[in-house]
Parts: sequence; structure tokens; C-alpha cells
Amino acid sequence: MLEITNVHKSFGKNEILKGVDLTIEKGDVVVILGPSGSGKTTLLRCINFLERADQGTANFGDLKVDLKGASKKEVLDVRKKTAFVFQNYNLFNNKTALENVAEGLIIGRKMPKEEAYKISREALDKVGLSDKYDFYPVQLSGGQQQRVGIARAVALNPDIILFDEPTSALDPELVGEVLETMKEIAREGTTMLVVTHEMGFAKDVAKRVIFMDGGVVVEEGTPHDIFVTPKEERTKRFLRRVLPGQYDYEI
Amino acid sequence: MDTSLINVPFLIDTFFVALSGVPVALLVTVVSLLIAVPIGFFLALTRINQIPVINTIAKIYVSFVRGTPIIIQIFVLYSFIPLMLNGIFKKYNIEYSVYDINPLWYAFIIFAFNTAAVLVEVFRSALSTVDKGQLEAAQSVGLTNAQAYRRIIIPQALVTALPNLCTATVNLIKATSLGYAISLYEITLKAKVAANVGYNYVEAYIDIFIVYLILCIVVEQLFKWWEKRLSRYKYANA
Repeated sequence: MLEITNVHKSFGKNEILKGVDLTIEKGDVVVILGPSGSGKTTLLRCINFLERADQGTANFGDLKVDLKGASKKEVLDVRKKTAFVFQNYNLFNNKTALENVAEGLIIGRKMPKEEAYKISREALDKVGLSDKYDFYPVQLSGGQQQRVGIARAVALNPDIILFDEPTSALDPELVGEVLETMKEIAREGTTMLVVTHEMGFAKDVAKRVIFMDGGVVVEEGTPHDIFVTPKEERTKRFLRRVLPGQYDYEI
Repeated sequence: MDTSLINVPFLIDTFFVALSGVPVALLVTVVSLLIAVPIGFFLALTRINQIPVINTIAKIYVSFVRGTPIIIQIFVLYSFIPLMLNGIFKKYNIEYSVYDINPLWYAFIIFAFNTAAVLVEVFRSALSTVDKGQLEAAQSVGLTNAQAYRRIIIPQALVTALPNLCTATVNLIKATSLGYAISLYEITLKAKVAANVGYNYVEAYIDIFIVYLILCIVVEQLFKWWEKRLSRYKYANA
């Protein structure tokens, strides 16, 4: 459903992505793990053209685009097939929760207002915010804001939702509600590509886990492959560092 | 002749004379703003996005306007424009005396030229207060850049810009008093002309003073009301 091939991206002399390939089937939840600076976020941003890759292609089945040279129209087409959930929520500060969700439908998709608001209310209901339609972002907690962010993505009914560390900016006690929301939409069969540091989520929800380091995919497989029987030394080292209760006895 | 310090009947009469200059002052203010706002906004965008050449021109333009008194800008443009037009008119055999041009047109050009430079900096600082994530979020839900600016970024930047925009507008209203230097029949010139008859300058100046004060207070209040309306999302109660 989404096939990404040979993505390269540098910032100045710093090469962040060194040829990344990725395939995601419809309905899959794919989690990307990796140390900071490994290029996970950049990869996600390149797929949605928030960043222009230096090389690479994305194939959405019926739409194949060059990640470097895509035209404005192609970029808009890709953005119609994708939705993005940001680390810092990035809700539109001047819009209410409902308007935030409806904006892309009304302006981006030219949907009649009434229909857009109906879909938006349903999306907010789904993330458990049916009592917050008319609240501005400043009136919401971080967890609630991120759930609006997820509703905004879900309402667009995209082929795939890209999650960029959706819980990293949250207070620890608010992480749960956002992960729960993500699990819920995963259960409904939404195709998701998730960059996260939440190992529990990766273990429980992911169909496949991808481990990235140094701008390349080091290893990929089922959660069992990666967490229980990792093959690559780099993967093992990373997991030892991030998984609680496992110590490195080779000191 | 009245022996008291102030000629009260003249003071009152001239107040209405000065007041009759308000429409011209407001017309110059509004038209200049209508010209200056898009230019200022466009140049602010070129400054933020570091568009080569235009960015540099904008920088020079802003320094140039900020570094010279308005009255000198008025004198320069008021002498330079007719010279330039004269040349053009002669070249294309247009039978029109440049000295018949209504000073209103000069006022529009001069004050727009001046205010646009002020607004470049007002808009630049206001736009830079809006987080980059707002544009990215708008793009990610399928808005074009123009739509993102119109619906998300400008409404937020405007809230930050309004206090400075208010200052710029009030400054502009006050600056139109310099229009007397190009025979523009606005508040100042009208009252001064009335004062010429009986040498009642003190009364005329007091009238001018009061008219500008009222005008500026009204404009300030309008801006305050506007700012309150626009910034509702910022201070909404949980």
C-alpha cells in the first residue's frame, strides 16, 4: 500500500538518511525505533513533504511520486492520502477543537461545512473528547491536545497516519490516554507508521517493528523478532539501554 | 476685540473648522494604509524567507525611511515626483500641468511610502512569533501555503501585530498634519488658515490639538476592541 524506496536526505554536510526502504501493508501498524538522530523523524517528514528528500520515491499504489522533485499538485495529492500527528501537537491555536479537526476537511478537501462538522464531531467522540468541541487548545491539557491532533488526522480518513513521537512532549501521567487512543484506532484497522520511544506500545500493537540507526534500517521484523530474538548487535545494544530491568553485564 | 486671553467664540467656531478637516486626514490615513499594508506584508515575507535581492532592497528601504524625518521625505518626494512626471509627460506629449495635481495624490504616495516601511518591521516581528509547526500542521491537513497563511498564520500574527499596527496608524494620523506643507486641506491647515484672519493662533492650535487627541483616542479604542476580539482564543477560560 505504501512503498518507500531509497530515501536520502542531508542537512548541509550531515547525512541523516542514507537510503531507507520501507513497505507498509494496508491496516498494518509499523513502529520505527532507534536512538535519537537516527533519522526516524526525518523519514516521516520526507514522506509527507514537510522535508524535501534529496532522493527517493514513494508509491501509494495508485500514486507514485518522486520525493525530491514532486510537483505542488503531487505534494497536495500525497497529503490527501496521509495525515500527520506531531510531537508538539501543533493544533491551530486560533481554532477550537472542532474547527481544528474540520479545517482540513472544509478547506483542504472542499467538503460542505455541515458534513465536515459531523465527521469532526465523530472523530472527537472517538478520542473521548465529546465534551470539548468548543475548547481552544490553551484550554486543553497536553494529552487532550494530542488526542485532538489524532482526531484531526483520523477525520481526514487518510490511507496512512504518520505519528512523530506523539507522546514525547507529554507529562508521564498523560501518556497513557494518548497511547490508549492510538491503540483504539489501530484496532479499527487504521494504517499507522509510528515513531515512538514507547516500547510497550511497540510490543503490544505493532505488526512490524523497524530498528533504525545512523540513517539506515538496521533490522526489521515482528515485535518478537526485534525484542526477543534480535540479530544485530546494534539492535541488542539499543534495547539493553531502553528496556527497563535488563542490564548489560558485560561492563 | 476680545481682551481676554482666549477668544472663546473663535475657539469654538474654529474647532468645527478643524473638525471639517477630519475626513481628509482619515482619507489619507485609510488610503495610505490600504497601499502600505500589502506592500509591507509582502516585503516582510521576503525578509523572513530571505528572498535574494528583494530582501536587500527591503532592508535598504526600511533603513532609508527610518533614518530620515517625514517632513524631509515629503519635501523630497513633493519636488521629485513633479520633476519626474514632467519629464514623462513631455516625452509622451501629454498635455497636463503637473502643478494641477491634487496634493491628495502626493499625500497618498508619501504616507504610503513611509508607512509601508514601518509595517515591514511590524509584520516581520509578528509573523516570526507564530510557530513553524502551525504552517506544517496546516500543510499536513492539505492546505496550500496561501490558505495556511490566510486562515491560520495571519490571524495569529495579527494579534501580535495589532498594538504596533495601532501605533503605526496613530502615528500616520498625526503625520498627516504635515500635509499642510503640500497645501493639503486637512485639520492643521484648515485651522491655521482660519487663524490667519485674526491672528488667533493659540485658539487654533488648541483646536487642532483637541481634534487630533479625540481622533487618536477613538482609533486606539477601536484597535483595543479589535485586539480583544481577535485574541479571544488566547485568553479563553478553561
